Parts: sequence; C-alpha cells; structure tokens
Amino acid sequence: MKPSAWQGICLVFRKELTAGLRFRAAWAAMLMFALTTLACASMALQGGSLEPRMQAALLWIILFFASMAGADRVFADESTAGTLLTLRVYGASQAVLLGKLCYTFFLLLVLAAFTVPLFLVFLDVTVKEPLVLLGAVLLGTGGIAAAGTLIAALTTDASTHSGLFSVLMLPVILPVFLPAISLTASSFGADGAGSPYLGAMALYDAILAVGASVLFDSLWYED
Amino acid sequence: MWGGLDAAPQKGRGMRRGSMEERQTDAGASIVFANVTKRFGAHTVIHGLTRTVRGGCITAVTGINGSGKSTFLKLAAHLIMPEEGAVHVAIDGEEVRRAALRAKIALVTPELRFYARLTAWENLAFVLGARGKKLTKEGYEALLGRVGLAREKTGGMRVEGYSTGMRQRLKLAALFGTDARIWLLDEPGANLDEAGREMVRAEARAAAGRGTLVLWATNDAGEEAEADETIRLAGHLPRLS
Repeated sequence: MKPSAWQGICLVFRKELTAGLRFRAAWAAMLMFALTTLACASMALQGGSLEPRMQAALLWIILFFASMAGADRVFADESTAGTLLTLRVYGASQAVLLGKLCYTFFLLLVLAAFTVPLFLVFLDVTVKEPLVLLGAVLLGTGGIAAAGTLIAALTTDASTHSGLFSVLMLPVILPVFLPAISLTASSFGADGAGSPYLGAMALYDAILAVGASVLFDSLWYED
Repeated sequence: MWGGLDAAPQKGRGMRRGSMEERQTDAGASIVFANVTKRFGAHTVIHGLTRTVRGGCITAVTGINGSGKSTFLKLAAHLIMPEEGAVHVAIDGEEVRRAALRAKIALVTPELRFYARLTAWENLAFVLGARGKKLTKEGYEALLGRVGLAREKTGGMRVEGYSTGMRQRLKLAALFGTDARIWLLDEPGANLDEAGREMVRAEARAAAGRGTLVLWATNDAGEEAEADETIRLAGHLPRLS
C-alpha cells in the first residue's frame, strides 16, 4: 500500500522533529548564534539607534547566518550518520523533500520567534507596521527553508559541503533577502517597499519550492 | 592490468520447489542484468555481466572481497547505475523503476543504518509507515519479538544503545515488516549468533517460498549452501605487481 503524500510528509517531519528535539545541537547552535550576535550589537550601540534600513539589514543578517548554523544540516546529518541509504530505500522523494522542508521552515520560525522580539527589545526598535514585519518574516524564512533544503540536498555528497552550501545559497537567496530587508525596514518606519514586495516574495518562494520538487526526483533516483 | 572474470552461475543445493525453467513466467519478480559493466574511476568491478535472477528462490552472490558483491546488489536496486548495459527489474511482467522499484525492495546491508536517537519501535514505524504500513502496538511488538528485540529485552531504549547484533536484527525486522517482493541481503548473518543466522536462513527460505526474489551476497559457506543457485563473481582487481 502506498502512503498518501501528506502521510509521507508528516512521517518525515515527525521523525526530524523527534530526532532534533532529542539531540538539540542544531537548535542550540542557531539560538546561541542569534543571542550572541544580538548581545554584541546591543552592547556596541551603547543605547544609540540605527536607521530603519540598517536595523532591518542587521536583523536579516542575524536570521540568515543563524539559520546557516542549522538549516544546512538536513541531509548532511543523514549522510554522516549513514541513514541516507535508509531514507533512499524506504522514503518517497517528494515526502522526504517536503517533510524536511517543512521541518526546516518550522526550525526557522522558532528561530525568528526567538530572535525578532529580542532584537526589538535589545535595539529599542519600534514596529510601525507589525503585519508587514510578520509577512516579511514568514516569507523570508520560507524562502530560506526552500532554498536551504534544495541546496543541502544538492551538496550532501560534496567533500566541501559547508563551503559549497554557502556559495550556492547566496545567489539563490538574494531575491528573497533583499525584499525581506526592504519590507522589514518599511515596517520599522522607512519609506518605500510595500505589498507588491510581499507578492513578489511569495511568488519567488513558490518558484523555489516547485523548482526543488521538480529537481529533487533526479537527485533521489539514479535511474 | 586488470584480471579476473565475471559471473559463473552454478547451481547450489538444487531447486527445492521446481526448476528455474518452470519459473520463467511473467509472474513474480525478476532482475535481468544485460551486459552490465560497472566501474569506479579506473577500476572495473563488474564487466559484461549477463544474468537473470528470478523470484521464488534464493540466489547467492559470492566472491572474494572487492569482487563486486555489494555493487551487484546496489545495481539490482538501481541505487547505482552501470556504465554499460542495463539492469531491468520486473514485477509480474511489468518493468519497474524509480519510486515503483523502491517500493518493492528491502535491503539489509552493512551500510544501512537506522536512526540512533529513535527507538526500534519508532524506527520501524517510520520505515514501515513510509511504505504505507501501519501496525498496531501488538503488531510492532510481534515483529520485534520475531527478531529477538522484544521490549522486555531492550527496555524500549534508543538504537544508539544497541549492540551491532541488535542493530542487525532491527534491519531484519524492517525487512520482514515491509512485505517487499525483492530482498537484497548483503552478509545478512554478519554480527548475528548462530540462532540469528538460522533465523535469517529460515525467513529467507520462507520468503522464497512465497515467491520473493532473494538475492544474498555472502562468503559464508552455510549461507551459500542454503541458496538454490549461486553467482560467483571473480571481480577485476588490480594486480599488486
């Protein structure tokens, strides 16, 4: 009997979550990176304030690099532990991809839920448009999750995995990163970006997810 | 310089339930190796192999270390592809590839690992669930008990606490639980005690009796003797001088 796509995705997500919660290294690395960077930035500013665009850029730099501490491991950990073969034999390609993508997205949402409030407090930032900030964070982390999962799969067998992951990630993520910064700046009170950027980010996220889905079969099956 | 030759099929202890010729029908599983050559870099492991393996019997693949036994199994599973020739897998007369093929195979190899931070029950729930099978609690207990990993023995501990023999038994539990039509076993008796090896032989025989294609890479004389036929791989190893 073949499981439904949804059941397969839920199985992979639940497996990732259970294993992740029992080890917690990826979670700890991400959250500690975010906390350390925030504390350093806050102390360096000594009560001073930044322009909204600089604030937004700083927030996304923290989110991006903190996510790199955990999100690039989704397939590399399987390869290191020797479980990738098990996953290849028993897991359907789309269930594996989307289950891991959902888990990475969830991980990044937790990271954002931890980082953004602390950022607002530590750097004394006032949010003028909370819904725009919420949209930017959701779509920005969604884009990082989609791009990160695909590139992690592509670079799993590379001997220089981490370096290659970062190099490939930059051009793929820029179309998400730049509007996310503009939208976040706008939510902090800067002039400029608005809802058209949200639509463009949602479209790019969808393209990334569909592209990952189409490409992944050729990575998963040799024949 | 490269030496050696390839497959030299031989009958093992004979067909227990009819000859191979009687089974040359569309029913059941079959794997056809058609003039297959596999290289790793400049090293040719398998050269020009042509062979058909069918369901309903146990086929042993033997040969010295490096002769290509594990490669043979991976080719059968389409986990790697040959440089030349083709490997055709058919179920009930219909060729299967990609997801349809993966759904029909189960693998026990030294490279296969289960999730160390999950329990045996959680690992089985994951791999069987991925194949669309959901057992009751009693079903999982029975399956684990069948391979000697009953809860009373393991205490429900995570796989990271298992010995190599217990991990091998967990691989076998997944194999038995999936109802796969093709069993690809690479040294399945490795790390098992005599009772465990006997269990593997009995289960493989029972599976072959149900029509399952059992391909068994081994250097163990007892396992080879259990097989209905044998493919000997001589390999293409580099000469040392």
